[in-house]
Amino acid sequence: MWRIGVDSGGTFSDVCLFDDASGRVAVWKVSSTPADPSEGIARGVAEGLREVGAGAADVAYFGHGTTVATNALIQHKGVRTGLITTEGFRDLLEIGRQKRPDLYDMQADKPPTLVSRDLRLEVPERMRHDGSVETPLDEGAFRAAVRVLRTAGVEAVAVCFLYGFVSTTHENTAARILAEEFPEAFASISHIVSPEFREFERLSTTVVNAYLGPVMRRYIGRLEKRLQDSGIAAAPHLTQSNGGVIGFDQAALLPVRTVLSGPSTGVVGAQAIGQAIGIPDLITFDMGGTSTDVALLAGGACRLTGEAMVHGYPIKAPMLDIHTVGAGGGSIAFIDSGGLLKVGPRSAGADPGPVCYGRGNDEATVTDANVVLGTLNPSHLLGGRMAIRHDLAAAAIDRLASKLGMSRMATADGIIAVVTANMARAIRVISVQRGYDPRDYSLVAFGGAGPLHAVRLAQALDMRRIVVPRNPGILCAMGLLLTDLRADFAVTRLSLLGDAAMAGVGAAFRELDAMASAWFAAEGIAAGDRRIKRTVDMRYAGQNYELPVAVPEEGDILSALARGFAEAHQRIYGFVAEEDPVQLVTFRVEASGVVPKARFEAQADSGADASGALAGSRTVWMAEADDFVECPVYRRDLLRAGNRFSGPAVIEQMDATTVVPAGWMARVEPFSNIVLEVG
Amino acid sequence: MTSRMRFGGLGGGNAVGQSSFSPVKPRFFSVRGICMTTIDPITTEVIGSALSSIVEEMGEALIKASHSTNIKERRDCSTALFDLEGRTLCQAEHIPMHLGSFLGLIEHIRKRHNQTDLRPGDVFCGNDAYEGGGTHLPDIVLAEPVFVDGIMTAWAVNLAHHADFADRGHVHIYQEGLRIPPIRLYKAGKLQVDVQELILLNCQVPKERLSDFRAQMAANRLGVQRFQALCAKYGRATVLAAGSALLDYAERKMRAGISAIPDGVYRFADTYDCPEIDGEMPLSCEISVRGDSMHLHFDAPPQVRAGLNMTMTALLSTVYYAVKMVVDPTILPNAGLARPLSVLAPEGSIVNCVHPAAVNGRLSLCQRVVDLILGALASAVPDRVIAACNGACFSITFAGHQPDDNRLWVYLETIGGGSGARATKDGLDGVHVHMTNTSNLPVEALELEYPLTLVRYELVDGSGGPGRQRGGMAIRRVYRAEHDCRVRVDGARLLCPPWGLFGGLPGGQAEINVYGGAKPFDHGHGALRRGETIEVITGGSGGYGPPSERDPDAVRRDIAEGAIDLATARAVYGGIAAG
Repeated sequence: MWRIGVDSGGTFSDVCLFDDASGRVAVWKVSSTPADPSEGIARGVAEGLREVGAGAADVAYFGHGTTVATNALIQHKGVRTGLITTEGFRDLLEIGRQKRPDLYDMQADKPPTLVSRDLRLEVPERMRHDGSVETPLDEGAFRAAVRVLRTAGVEAVAVCFLYGFVSTTHENTAARILAEEFPEAFASISHIVSPEFREFERLSTTVVNAYLGPVMRRYIGRLEKRLQDSGIAAAPHLTQSNGGVIGFDQAALLPVRTVLSGPSTGVVGAQAIGQAIGIPDLITFDMGGTSTDVALLAGGACRLTGEAMVHGYPIKAPMLDIHTVGAGGGSIAFIDSGGLLKVGPRSAGADPGPVCYGRGNDEATVTDANVVLGTLNPSHLLGGRMAIRHDLAAAAIDRLASKLGMSRMATADGIIAVVTANMARAIRVISVQRGYDPRDYSLVAFGGAGPLHAVRLAQALDMRRIVVPRNPGILCAMGLLLTDLRADFAVTRLSLLGDAAMAGVGAAFRELDAMASAWFAAEGIAAGDRRIKRTVDMRYAGQNYELPVAVPEEGDILSALARGFAEAHQRIYGFVAEEDPVQLVTFRVEASGVVPKARFEAQADSGADASGALAGSRTVWMAEADDFVECPVYRRDLLRAGNRFSGPAVIEQMDATTVVPAGWMARVEPFSNIVLEVG
Repeated sequence: MTSRMRFGGLGGGNAVGQSSFSPVKPRFFSVRGICMTTIDPITTEVIGSALSSIVEEMGEALIKASHSTNIKERRDCSTALFDLEGRTLCQAEHIPMHLGSFLGLIEHIRKRHNQTDLRPGDVFCGNDAYEGGGTHLPDIVLAEPVFVDGIMTAWAVNLAHHADFADRGHVHIYQEGLRIPPIRLYKAGKLQVDVQELILLNCQVPKERLSDFRAQMAANRLGVQRFQALCAKYGRATVLAAGSALLDYAERKMRAGISAIPDGVYRFADTYDCPEIDGEMPLSCEISVRGDSMHLHFDAPPQVRAGLNMTMTALLSTVYYAVKMVVDPTILPNAGLARPLSVLAPEGSIVNCVHPAAVNGRLSLCQRVVDLILGALASAVPDRVIAACNGACFSITFAGHQPDDNRLWVYLETIGGGSGARATKDGLDGVHVHMTNTSNLPVEALELEYPLTLVRYELVDGSGGPGRQRGGMAIRRVYRAEHDCRVRVDGARLLCPPWGLFGGLPGGQAEINVYGGAKPFDHGHGALRRGETIEVITGGSGGYGPPSERDPDAVRRDIAEGAIDLATARAVYGGIAAG
């Protein structure tokens, strides 16, 4: 039986097929169809299956990562949405935290408010922070507001009341009336979407969920139908921002949880590789044409964050802590008015692309610098399918060089140094800023440009080991075949850590466990495959930012929480305030359903000699030597497990190039990943 | 006659004069030669990136470890690295006002303490506007020297606005809180308990202060460690050379930006009002642009016995902000940007006050100085300036006793308003402008911590000045006291509305109203009993261009969204509004 993963991006849709029986992996790439992405996906799957000689009936699993929700948010192509909220607070959505978008740039704008002011309606109701009712919900006014929105032609309605997360009474009544009056509307209710405190962030999340709801529902419906029409019977699954997959029907209920669906699959892919080869502490480095995503996995797990700013909108949902920076192969290099060399975030994209593509762009990019340095093949890319204009790239670099008063090679190398510094800064955010030392981690380099820049980046951060996956360009699609089903549940209940709080802790987790059980049942996960992880977000009473602390399965929970919190606080802030009371804030349950996953077979050791993969040599500019160095070029597809060689060397494959400078050793480990190490 | 002083770039021993008279560099500078002598532009950029990373990390640690709402939620704090001369190497961008709030600190430390006596782990604490380089007393700075291989190399510095010193007078600075010159809070890593106790006894909420000091310590400790690690990687000399090159870099960008403004002399005048004073005060400025340098000359009445006065440090940070914003928002906020600027203002005036003037509410006047600069430059670079913003930093401070345990509580918040219309776009609605950019406190956090209920929080219909581009709308915030408390409100533009540009009309004025039987406030001071409410309406902002040129679709949208009522729209926009 075949398992299929499809990662659908803006330019390409990657289809990864895995045969359970033989362990065979096949990859199929088709152009995306942005107007209706399900069309390209269905075609890619059909073609991929034909290519491996399988039929639709042979498909046991279909996993999918998508940018549909993200793109709808970036391009503001969600639906006409209405909002009903507490009297006096309809403008909260627009005021937000009352901060302007940029400190010094007067031309900067806030992201557009997703609900226009005339569609933001207020109803009399007011809850207090302890859940008591100051003003009961005016049901008649609410009913009238729903009718106004229906007449105005909205497709989705968000409902968010102050303290909706403390007492759900008013929001439940509202949801009932909304269903009675306007059943065809997509309903997004704050305590269901994000039952956590801080009203603006909860409101924003609820509105984004409403705005994307119908878009995702239609998309999922179309894709499901196309898959069914093509004869695939396996239930389709979608990745969420938390890196876990979820059934299509569940995903359609909370689309806000899929906004980071795309990048999270790459992290999951890297995680699986780390697990297979026994390296649990990883920093993922996914460098594409326009941007770079980085994430940190400690002990094999990626840190989850409960809140992030996504394209300008605060979203409270479980998300992998992925940090994105505008640095990629297409990032444009320029000299600013103060005379310093800058790179990005402006990108030449895929079209016209870098200067060396010869499609009309004349501003040097990171890729052009690599062509001039010889780190990228100076005559062709993509296994020979794409010709490269070295002359144009060199001329573009020379234009910058003359302004800087530096040589061509120093300038090209400088472009790499600057883009590397930008990426190193992104990694510092997810490592040192969170209390982790990158030197204790291995860098997993993927995406089209990751392996090319990995060593420079590792050197900037004093990291000593790099893993380059077998297929760096399609790791996201691969990740879809390696992930478990997963859902997260949370509830906010403020209490002080102490014996008295323990009953409340038990009650909160029983409530969450019940939600998790219902979800397990809906997904049809057998009892033996259910996994539960419990955490509590804690802080010193008086602080406003919490740290997650794991709850042990058994033993003294109270002292485990106290100890766990003190350790985390010490690690991140460098001090412990022993006399201060500690507060429990949000209780979380992470439920995962273990599913059969693609398994990769270890290859037999073919010996250290890599000469069988030698494809020639070329001169490459090496910063350490400050000169061109003759480097052997290896073909990745001919390298075998056990092969090893030292730098300087270049490894080429269809979708990526890996640079191994002098002082680094490359070896192919049994699962065909390349490990680069200092020494 | 008031005496006049000339100020140039801040920091180090050259606070007065010097740098503003340095020979003007060629307008079309050559990059080669300026930075190649010591360090190449790529290493500079790489180290600059690392320095930014350090101050950001310091800022995150400070915010997340702190206890008072003003820091943890409203982010009223800043972090920075300084060189030994006290020049800013890099600053985390939180609040532009803080560009000045600790610029003078290192200089004052140097005045009081012999540098050779400093030891690793010494931490200085200070806040004074006259003896510590600060701009008002609640901004307490902690500064720690960074030693690299036993050599003192730089300073890690951070500032937090401690929401304390509430319910006090503002006749002179001695009423406004405890004045702290730069003194050691830690000596070689050891807490000076006596000093700390003296400070805490003078605070109304000492427990919060103590926790916030700890967060400030954590932030500086990170800064010290990270800066040492950076020096270990690149070498101390290289890092310092890069720091110096970054100052030159900011200066070059500033000069390039000023060069793009036509030479000339530009003037603007306005009046200032606030709850503290009766009537209005005249303000004016004259800006001379010549080549790549700019001279700004302000005039204002003598300092007053009220908290609105600005120190020279506050004026300089205001000027740095405004000019950077107009000429090039991307210029690094370091000391280099001050070099092409010279600033003149009458000593002892409200914009350059001297001891013992009170300064607590200086921010609203700073906002109006930004407006003056933009107004003056409007004729020179009309596309780069915006119409008058809400012109204030409305602040409201509540103080009382908690109903359950009688503990003293103090709550301070500031409220945004309209941001002026731009040449091609409407102004932003309901935001903090110019010198401030603090967050609001979530209602769900506010009501949990303090005996207050927020009744309304919304945009004010009709407050955005009409024009081809509409001004941003003001904010209305209505509070109900759940327990008796004292209240102080500060702001501006209660009498004179924010002006429009090039035919744009003025925006709405600010208002302070009390309901439910509360006594009217006296010069911003008053009290609320349980159940009484106070309403603060901040200023809107001015429009840009004649209303007759507004896009009819935009007028229709304004009407549909309630930004303007139909009758006013017909009166202002005429035929456009009819359709």
